[in-house]
Amino acid sequence: MHAPPLDRLVPEYIKRFEPYIPSKPDNELKKLYGCSRILRLNNNENPLGPPPASRDVIDEFPPPAASVYPSGDAYYLRYKLAEKFGLHPDQFLVGNGANEVITFVIKAFCQEGDNIVTADKTFAVYEWVAEFSGFEARLVPLKDFGFDDAGMLRAIDNRTKLIFVCNPNNPTGNYWNREKLLRFLDAVDGRQIVVLDEAYFEFVEKEDFPDGMALMESYPNLVVFRTFSKMYALAGLRIGYLAGSREVVDIIRRTCVVYSVNSLAQQAALAALEDGEHIIRTRQLVREGRRFLERELGRLELAFVSGEGNYLMLRLPMSDTLAYRKLMARGVMIRSMTGFRFPNYIRITISHMEAMEAFIEALEAILDEMPRKGS
Amino acid sequence: MKKDTGRALSLSVYTEIGFLPMCTSFVEHGALAFGLDERGATALTLAVEEIFSYLCRISSPDRWVTIRSSSRRYYNLVEISCPVQDFDMRLFNLTARVSAEDETALEQMGLLIASRFVDRLNVTQGPDNGILLSLVKEKSYPEADQILTMQPKELSRFSLIRPKPELLKIITTAIKAHYPPFLFPKAFLYPGKVVDMVEGGEYEAMAATGLDGSVGGALLWHWVSEKTVECFGPYLFGQAKGSAMSEELMEACIGAIAKSPALGLVSLLPTDELPREHFEDLGTLTLFDEKGNGTALTAYFRQMHEDPGAYSWCHPELEHFLRSQYGRLAMPREILFVKDLGETKSPFSVLSADLERSGNKATIRPVRSGKDMQENLIGHLDLLRNESLKNVFFVMDLGIPWQTEFTHPLLQSGFLPRVVVPYGGEGDQVIFQLGA
Repeated sequence: MHAPPLDRLVPEYIKRFEPYIPSKPDNELKKLYGCSRILRLNNNENPLGPPPASRDVIDEFPPPAASVYPSGDAYYLRYKLAEKFGLHPDQFLVGNGANEVITFVIKAFCQEGDNIVTADKTFAVYEWVAEFSGFEARLVPLKDFGFDDAGMLRAIDNRTKLIFVCNPNNPTGNYWNREKLLRFLDAVDGRQIVVLDEAYFEFVEKEDFPDGMALMESYPNLVVFRTFSKMYALAGLRIGYLAGSREVVDIIRRTCVVYSVNSLAQQAALAALEDGEHIIRTRQLVREGRRFLERELGRLELAFVSGEGNYLMLRLPMSDTLAYRKLMARGVMIRSMTGFRFPNYIRITISHMEAMEAFIEALEAILDEMPRKGS
Repeated sequence: MKKDTGRALSLSVYTEIGFLPMCTSFVEHGALAFGLDERGATALTLAVEEIFSYLCRISSPDRWVTIRSSSRRYYNLVEISCPVQDFDMRLFNLTARVSAEDETALEQMGLLIASRFVDRLNVTQGPDNGILLSLVKEKSYPEADQILTMQPKELSRFSLIRPKPELLKIITTAIKAHYPPFLFPKAFLYPGKVVDMVEGGEYEAMAATGLDGSVGGALLWHWVSEKTVECFGPYLFGQAKGSAMSEELMEACIGAIAKSPALGLVSLLPTDELPREHFEDLGTLTLFDEKGNGTALTAYFRQMHEDPGAYSWCHPELEHFLRSQYGRLAMPREILFVKDLGETKSPFSVLSADLERSGNKATIRPVRSGKDMQENLIGHLDLLRNESLKNVFFVMDLGIPWQTEFTHPLLQSGFLPRVVVPYGGEGDQVIFQLGA
C-alpha cells in the first residue's frame, strides 16, 4: 500500500498550521520533572472544585445511564438557562466546552475569503479555529493590555463576518466597561456578528462590567459565550454554551454537532446553576489570593498585570519557557505566555493560599538561581 | 515560515556517460535562465558533470538518476536523487574511492571536486531511503556600497516595520559599517542578496524607524530546520546603551513565530544588544578565522513552547556531558542508552558533509552507522584538513538512536561536545566541535 500523497491531499492552510500539543498527564510530568506533586496553576481551574450540588450529581450518576445517549440539544439545561437569564430556550446552544461553540460560530458564518477580527494577545482559540478552517484572523494589537476598540473597527472590511472580544481578556484581565462595549456595538451597527466571550464573567465584581446576556434584545448581532469550566469547575466534563438572538442561534445550530455534550456534564451543569454560595466562596478565595500575590510580587519587584478573572500575569527577568521548566521541577505548573505573544510573562491561576505560597517560594528560588548582572 | 518560491525543472536519465551532454546542457541552460551569470552557470555545470560522471563510473548503465534544478531567487539549487537500491551508500562519503588502484588519484573523488565548484554541497538521505545530493550555486552580488550608509541618530520615538528592499539595503550596509564581521552572516555583505533572501521568504526582517523614516535598528531571522529559527542581531545604529529598541525588535520576532511550528529560537552570533533575559545560554562554540584566531561565541536559545519532556538516546561516554547540560538547563529528559547486543552491523558507515567555504566551515552529519565509523571519520577529517577548513562541527541527533554510536569515534578523533540544542532535530542535537 502506498503512503497517501499528503502534499496533494492536505490544504495549504492546514500545512501551515501547528497542532496544539497539550501537557502530558500529571503522573508523566512528575516522572519527567522529578517532582512528587504538581500544583496546577496553569489552566485557571477553580481549586474549590464543582459546587456541592454538582458533586452530588456526579457521585450519584447511575452507571447504566452511561449506555443511553444524552439529550442531543441539552434540553433541560437550555430551559434552565432561559429561566435564569430571562431569554427563550432556543436562544441557547450548548457545546462540548466553549471551544466547540467557537467552532460552530465560525463554521456558520465564514466562507472562503472571509475574515474574523480579534486581538493579537488573547485566548488563542478564535485565531486557531479561523486559521485551520482557512479564514484570515485579523489580529489587532492590544492597547494598554486591553482590546483596542478603535483599532478593531479599522480592521473591519466587507469580508469581516465575526468580531471576537474576550471580556475580561484572558490573559490580561483587562475589560471593556458597559459604556465602551455599547459604543463599540453601536459603531459596528449590526453589520457583523460580535462575539463576546464571557468565560470569566462570574468572577467579575466590578459594577461597570457589562452583562452580555442583558444586551441581546438591543443588539441582535451579539453572541455571548459562557463556560462551566472556570467558575463552576466542570472543566473535565467539557461543557459551555452560547446565547444570541433566536435568528442568529438558528443559523449557528445548523453547524452544531448534536450529542457532543454528555449526560453527566448536562446534569452537573444544571445543578451548578442552582448554587449561589459557590460563586461567593470562589470570589472570596480569588480576592485573598490576588491580594497576596500582588503584595508578594511587589516585594520581589516584579511587574504584573492584575485585572479581573481568577488569574494574574507577571513579567519575569528570564524566558518564560525556562521559568516553566524550573517551576515544574519544583512542582508548580504555570502557563508560559510566549504562545500568547507575551514573551517572558507567565500567567498564574489564583488558587488556595497554600498553593500561592508554594508558587512564591518556588519563584523566589528560581530568581535566586539567576546569574547576577555583570557576573 | 520558509517559502518555496522556486520554479523547478527536472530531468531523469540513465547513468550512462552518453547522457552526460544532456545533463550538462540541462543544468547550464537552466542556471542561465534562472539568473546565474555565465561564470556561475559554468561552475555549477562542472560540478554536475563531475557528479554524473562519478555516478556513471560506480553504477551500471541501466540505472537512473533524477536531476532537479530550481531557482530560489539568490541561488540555483540542483538536486540529484538516486533510489537507494541502485547504489552502494558508502560511495557517497566524501572519502569514497572507486577502487584500490585509484586510491592516490584525487581526481576520482568526484564529490569533493564537485564541492569546489559550488557554494554548498550536501549529501543526505533522500525520499524513500534514497540519496539526495544538493548543490547550491549563489548568484553574484556587488558588495555593500558606502553611498548607502546613513548617518545614525538616536530615535526618541520609533515604530517597527517590515523593511522594503531599499530600506533593507541601507540596513545591511549599516550592519557592515557598525558591527564586526563575526556578528553577521557573510551574506549580509551583499545587500542585494539580503533583499532577495527576504523577498524570497527565506529570511524575515524587522526594522525600527523614526518618524522621518530613519533607521535606528533591525533584526533578521530565518528557519534553519522544521523546528528551529535562527535570529541575527539586534543591530542598533546610533542608539543609546540600554535602548528599549532591541527588546522591542526581539519581542516582535518572537511574536511573529509564537504560533508557528518553531520549537526553538537560537542566536549563534549574538550582538551585545541581544536581550539576554529572553534567552538561555547553551554553551560556546569557537569560530576560527583563516589565520587560526578563535572567537568564542555563546550560543543562545529560547524555547517557544512549554517543554512536554522527551527521551534522549545516549552513548555512555556522552552521559556526563548530557546530564550536566540537562541539569543546568532544567530540561526534562529521560536518557536512554544504546547497547550493542551482538546484532549484525553494516560494515560501512556513511557521513554527509556540508561544506561552506565562505564560512570556512564544514558540518558533518551521520547518514548511517557502520563498523568503519572511526576510519571513515578520520578519512573525512584528513580531507577537510586538506581543504583548509578551520571550523569542523559534527551534529548528532539524540532522537535517532544509532547516531549516538558515533560518540566514541568522535571523542577519539578530537571532537568535543560543546552545545545541546533542544529539539534541534528529531530530538535534541549535540554539536561537537573539532579541537576546540
